[in-house]
Amino acid sequence: MSPAAAWTIIRISIAERLIYRGDFALGTLMRFLPIVTQVFLWAAVFSALDAAGRPAEVAGFSYREMIAYYLLTMVARAFSSMPGLASGIARDIRSGAVNKYLIQPVDMLHYLLLHRIAHKLVYYSVALGPFALVFLLCRGFFPGWPDPETLCVFAASLVMAFLLGFFLESALGMIGFWFLEVSSLLFVYMLFAFFFSGHMFPIDMLPAGVATVVRLLPLQYLAYFPAAVFLGKVSGPELWQSLAVEAAWIVFFAFAGRIAFRRGVRRYGGYGG
Amino acid sequence: MRTMDSRQSANPALGAADGGPIGPSGPLRYVRVMAVFARNSLVRDMTFRVNFLINVASSISWVLMNLGFYLLIFRFAPSIGASTGWEQWPFFAFLATGLLINSTVHALFMVNADELSELIRTGNLDFVLLRPIDTQFMVSLSRIDWSALGNFCVGLILLATALVRMNYLPSFLECALYVFFLVCGVAIYYSLMIALAASSVWLGRNLSLLDFWFYITTFARYPMEIYQGRFGAPLRAAFTWVIPVLVVVNVPARLLVQSVRPSSASDWFLAAFAVAAAIASLAASRIIFQIALRAYRSSGS
Amino acid sequence: MTAAIEIKGLTKSFRVYQKPEGLLASVAGLFRRRYRHVEAVRGINLTVTPGEFVAFLGPNGAGKTTTLKLLSGVLTPTSGEARVLGHVPWRRENRYRRRFALVMGQKNQLWWDLPAAESFRLHQHIYSLPRTEFERTRDDLAEMLSVTHLLQQPVRELSLGERMKMELIAALLHSPEVLFLDEPTIGLDVVAQHNIRAFLRDYQQRRGVTIVLTSHYMIDVAALCHRVVMMGRGRIVYDGSLDGIVERFGGHKVISLHVNGAWSPELLSGLGELLSFEPPRARLRVARGDVPAVLQRILAAGQVLDLSVEDPPLEEIVAAWFAAERSDDGPSRRGEEV
Repeated sequence: MSPAAAWTIIRISIAERLIYRGDFALGTLMRFLPIVTQVFLWAAVFSALDAAGRPAEVAGFSYREMIAYYLLTMVARAFSSMPGLASGIARDIRSGAVNKYLIQPVDMLHYLLLHRIAHKLVYYSVALGPFALVFLLCRGFFPGWPDPETLCVFAASLVMAFLLGFFLESALGMIGFWFLEVSSLLFVYMLFAFFFSGHMFPIDMLPAGVATVVRLLPLQYLAYFPAAVFLGKVSGPELWQSLAVEAAWIVFFAFAGRIAFRRGVRRYGGYGG
Repeated sequence: MRTMDSRQSANPALGAADGGPIGPSGPLRYVRVMAVFARNSLVRDMTFRVNFLINVASSISWVLMNLGFYLLIFRFAPSIGASTGWEQWPFFAFLATGLLINSTVHALFMVNADELSELIRTGNLDFVLLRPIDTQFMVSLSRIDWSALGNFCVGLILLATALVRMNYLPSFLECALYVFFLVCGVAIYYSLMIALAASSVWLGRNLSLLDFWFYITTFARYPMEIYQGRFGAPLRAAFTWVIPVLVVVNVPARLLVQSVRPSSASDWFLAAFAVAAAIASLAASRIIFQIALRAYRSSGS
Repeated sequence: MTAAIEIKGLTKSFRVYQKPEGLLASVAGLFRRRYRHVEAVRGINLTVTPGEFVAFLGPNGAGKTTTLKLLSGVLTPTSGEARVLGHVPWRRENRYRRRFALVMGQKNQLWWDLPAAESFRLHQHIYSLPRTEFERTRDDLAEMLSVTHLLQQPVRELSLGERMKMELIAALLHSPEVLFLDEPTIGLDVVAQHNIRAFLRDYQQRRGVTIVLTSHYMIDVAALCHRVVMMGRGRIVYDGSLDGIVERFGGHKVISLHVNGAWSPELLSGLGELLSFEPPRARLRVARGDVPAVLQRILAAGQVLDLSVEDPPLEEIVAAWFAAERSDDGPSRRGEEV
């Protein structure tokens, strides 16, 4: 795809997205509300620990770290969540709208990626305000800025969280070529992602056996990993090792999605869309 | 086909016809209509059986995942809050109470509240307005989501388990009071929901404030004792006295759990307040709904 | 006899919220809103006697649907009075709501995923109809519309025409004395349209109900209604028989000629607007007042084998009038029809 075509796709997608910016800003602020209850819940948990005379930590997290963790996973999710991507692909396959990618000289995955980048850019431009406000109000929970190296890895982990989220979900959407009803499957994925990506709680809290398995899954990179990096829970060689594993997952899902698309299109052509 | 309808032959003059009900009237009619709503919804749900089962399964797994999270918390901490009495099983009784209320609201009202903005947008609310029956009743209850009963059952099982683990058998009076306060809680949640849904009359298009319902009720998911301190106390006050969502689960749950049962005068005052809040919320929702209808009518289609 | 419908000076204006552009303006708009007034119905007067079958004609935005909504109590008027069967519609008394029905061709009142029979059962209880009477009415109507075998089929599986029949049954279950029909045949194929019309005519004759119908299809109107009310820009511009419309709005006549080779199109165009010229036939449009003079010139020129003077088709007259109305209106006005 030529850079000009890519730029046009991005521009149109941005314009399309800007129409809804009003709902957007409000929606972003609202999404922090459940965190407020989380803050109080954890305060209560830690006060119980304190009263029982136990050390004030849960799975290696102090109260402040715990809250900082939740706020940081919100940032990570802002990068890695892909609302409507997999279900959109499945819907396009079912309705035959996927045909347009076969007719036009544009690759579906490229198009969707650019589309998604544009949406995210608009989202960040609107969400930056609410995010900055919340982080400013909650700055007391943070231990301070991490060193430049950690910060760089954190930034990289966010960008990679975006890529992993995109390729993982688009590969999932390709299942629509084989099964008509994918929404329940996607729900199961969402459930697992919510629980095991660290969005709901730090995966360190899981019992040792489960935690080992979860650490082998790619889901942790969608929420847990960037937050853990920022809080210095991952360091040294493990840091770079994890990044390498994440990169491998990205490549894996990018290829998986592409292969699934090729095969799916062949199959699709078989019975005519 | 008969050439003349009984009513017409009896009263062809059109001025002062009574046109009164011929069949059952009053509350009985509402019960009958409600029964048809329930039946039709069930027939519909059964036509899409697979979908129905998936809905049940997925909402149950969502609940189970949440329970898993709280189990994890209790692996680390003895209770939620210092000396609040919310140890694991009391807390699970609390969660069960929340589940019972939420799933009831879900089953009866959620789809309908969701549909309201659609009815307004498409102008199909017109047809509801034509019916010789209360509009708010029609709008609030015309579809029942039976799949939410899956979570209701999970709530019952969880409550029973918690009571057994706490080794406590509630008296008949306690059970009756518990059910009564569950109904109050449902009434408060319902009122909030329908009032927010009705707001789409003013906002137009498919924008609705219904999402706020989820965010506001998030605050009621935990025992009210956790809202403490500089920020917690005002929050607790606001969500108790202004938007009374905190009494919804807290009041009934505490009736069945010995470690947190109402003991002081202020506890019983809160219970009495829950009843008043339920009545006031219903009245307020009624007023808001009426105003919204008036706005809908004057704005046309 | 008392009037079934009596309307005096009925007026309805809407406040249309003008949604501002941009985020800041949207937020400001939450507090200070700007509205535009649209007068959908402007002081209409109308009396309909029981058992009449009246058609409302008019372009989109003429106020037809608004009038129906006012008469069914969905809307409250800005000013003016109306009585239907002695009731003020917008008081929405249950007594009134049991005595009329509204059917909208573009909207669906039945449960989409359920057989129509289930929706009918719901109506039975909402309108408190005794079981035996309800079942008899339902079966009679289903038979008249020949949809008895479809009663147990989910509505979503029915064709548009079958669905419309079910809508009609639903509306007639409680034997309304007044029936409002908004575009009941819209979008239907010719056969389905015909069936619905035949049913309506039959039903109306048997039961003597008062029916007010709006339609875009002149054939509906011609087949069913003796009385036509034309609306334009919220006002009633004509109220009378169908034939009278020609007198009133048909400012032209059509002269058909059988001519021989001596006549050229240029020559004919000199006489009036040449509608068609396929020798030996030609059709000319001539202003009503000019007809005698034009005929004289044609006859004087001779070479005419046959000649007839006719009114243009009704459809054409109304269409031309609709078009004129709309262009007067300008595109800025928001029609009340969905």
